[in-house]
Amino acid sequence: MVKFRYTKMAYKDPDDMVFGHAIYPVFCKNWNIQFGAGYVIPEVKVAPRPGMGDSLEKLKAEHERITRDACDRAAAIGIPFFMIEQEHVFQQTDNPKWAGEITALQAAIIEEYVSKYGMKAALRQTVGDIRIAEKPGGLRASLGSEYDAHIAETVEECCKNGASDICMETMGGKEVLDYGCMRQDIRAILFGIGYLGSIDMEYVWTRNVEICGHYATNPGGETNCSGANTLMFVAGGLTAHDFPHTVAMMGRAIAAGRTLVAYECGAVGPHKDCAYEGPILKAVSGRPGAQEGKQAVCAHGDVMGNTIAAVCDVWSNESVEFHSEFGGTTPAVWLQATAMEAALMNTAIQTGQAKVLRDLYTLTDRFRDPQGYCLSYDNAWRIGNALVEYGKDIYLRARAAALEAGKIMKEAHEKREVVLTRFELDSLERAMAELEAMTTETPRWVEKCVADYKRKVPNFKPENYGL
Amino acid sequence: MVLPSIKNTDFIFRRFNVELEGPAIPVEDTPEVKGAVPTAEPFKTLALAVVKGDTDAVLSKVKDALRTTKPLDIIEKGLAKGMDAVGALYASGTYFLPNVMVSADAMMAGIAECEKALGKTTEKKGKVVCHVAEGDPHDIGKNLVVMFLRAAGYDVIDLGRDVPIETVVNAVKKEKPIWLTGTALMTTTMSNFPKIAAKLKDAGIDIPFGCGGGALSKEWVETFDLGFFGAKSHHAPKLADAILKGMGWKDLRVKYSEVVGEYATGKGW
Repeated sequence: MVKFRYTKMAYKDPDDMVFGHAIYPVFCKNWNIQFGAGYVIPEVKVAPRPGMGDSLEKLKAEHERITRDACDRAAAIGIPFFMIEQEHVFQQTDNPKWAGEITALQAAIIEEYVSKYGMKAALRQTVGDIRIAEKPGGLRASLGSEYDAHIAETVEECCKNGASDICMETMGGKEVLDYGCMRQDIRAILFGIGYLGSIDMEYVWTRNVEICGHYATNPGGETNCSGANTLMFVAGGLTAHDFPHTVAMMGRAIAAGRTLVAYECGAVGPHKDCAYEGPILKAVSGRPGAQEGKQAVCAHGDVMGNTIAAVCDVWSNESVEFHSEFGGTTPAVWLQATAMEAALMNTAIQTGQAKVLRDLYTLTDRFRDPQGYCLSYDNAWRIGNALVEYGKDIYLRARAAALEAGKIMKEAHEKREVVLTRFELDSLERAMAELEAMTTETPRWVEKCVADYKRKVPNFKPENYGL
Repeated sequence: MVLPSIKNTDFIFRRFNVELEGPAIPVEDTPEVKGAVPTAEPFKTLALAVVKGDTDAVLSKVKDALRTTKPLDIIEKGLAKGMDAVGALYASGTYFLPNVMVSADAMMAGIAECEKALGKTTEKKGKVVCHVAEGDPHDIGKNLVVMFLRAAGYDVIDLGRDVPIETVVNAVKKEKPIWLTGTALMTTTMSNFPKIAAKLKDAGIDIPFGCGGGALSKEWVETFDLGFFGAKSHHAPKLADAILKGMGWKDLRVKYSEVVGEYATGKGW
């Protein structure tokens, strides 16, 4: 169950938001690190190579190299604090004992380096959401889902074996979101991410918080990888023509309502990064967050790689496969890349110029694309402010966030700050008109959505959401 | 709070999509539509309803047309021509992917109506088996491939997501498709693909196995026999047509860009 709903903004003034500082810093019990406490922490995420999931031995050997190479580079270039995030591969989450052994191995390596050099560190375990909506048991162990039962066991194994915090990227509502993404159906996007996603978040995060509470592990948070990140990925760059960037941005605003549910269940942060809803989350919650941008080029293209750094507390590379570059293996190379950027931000903080750098980051991409415009910290704050006005209702708050994002983009177009193409503008206006026409009576809206998408989306099973 | 102003953003970025945008033309007046849609009725009206992705209009026009026109003519001379125009509009950058999807939905609804009148399903060009790797829940790419193939007249056996190796191999043995597709977003789930290819080879099956998705690359897919890299979902019909004409996986690796008509050997966004 959620413990509360966000109905007020943590930040009263967007100008108070800046990288490295959060209203509610988070302390990690192991290795003495704090998030949002006046410094930005670099993060590296590396995925095992294909075939490494064939056996526990192979997977352990791969994770040993990932962890050791990152720690070695931290020592070699003098990185004072860093986080290693391990996003689980399917086999890791599906075999809880594997997850436990690998976490223990990584924790032991970090401990070795922390003891030797006195650096601060964190080990984030992001447990995979391996549930499949249409398989027997669907999304819930109580309905018979073995995958869901394995997720719970894996969370516990990671906590037991030394994870600093637990994160996830839950998939609730994805089946409807995908339908909406392929057809530019804003109602399906709102229902999939904003409503179904929020219900599933509450289910998963109530459990995660409860399990973490038994150990020295923080329940971290989320990002809407399966929804808003999908929209961004499909939208692509300026010259792509697969999905309008304006509607992708509305999806991100909707995702903020959904991702806040982790905090409402008791997660403490930092939240994760790939859906880029982080500036909105921070504005509403005051909790620290991870972001990714220009040093995530190893994972995807990006039209706002600087802007998104403006209010981060952890700076991440998103994800890269383990392999060798000329400059070392990827954990070493990409930790160095994120650490050097974090060093710039920390220099700005230590010289009293944090807000200057924040604004330079922001301006670099603010007018490049409507997504960057909306995610600039001042506009992200506006979206958050619209969201909390309806904070108690997961449908109405997501709808309000989407409408505010739409309003911001239209203003930008009218002021000629971000001129939109006809397709972008038409898509935006159509989506806004559809959102405005929707009923504000939540039960009526839900009933209609359930009936319609049950018919249109074969994988959508209302029972997965207790509907 | 006031952000500093920028003197000239041209030194920072340029919005090429805005700069290159052509004049606003009603869709029916575009060269793509004029070049594909017939002038004779009822085919013109049917095709334009598909172009506009209007399922209700397609259904009502198909019902009207069935009074005077053969179902197969409605499909081939009307609905399919509309979809040809949609494909051209997408290729020229006028249409976006969701436009294609709603047009495909409209066309498929029209075809179903015609098949009802025929009392049987129409003959398909060939059969394709599609799946997402075991352990992988990301199926949006596969769903797009399925849609593009069905809209182009192929019979698609959609095995869904998180599909075990044996299920894929058994489906290929049973269905005897011209082509198998596999998609994966994760590095560890894509390692199922070489295992599937090896089992197919052991069974003496030598069909192309098109693999795509976020974690994959052309270089990696070409490390195992049968495999070729699928760069974009909308390439699927052209690839299927080439395979139908006898092109094998070795040729597809080399002639991919030529077959799909655009540079497409690299990874996407």
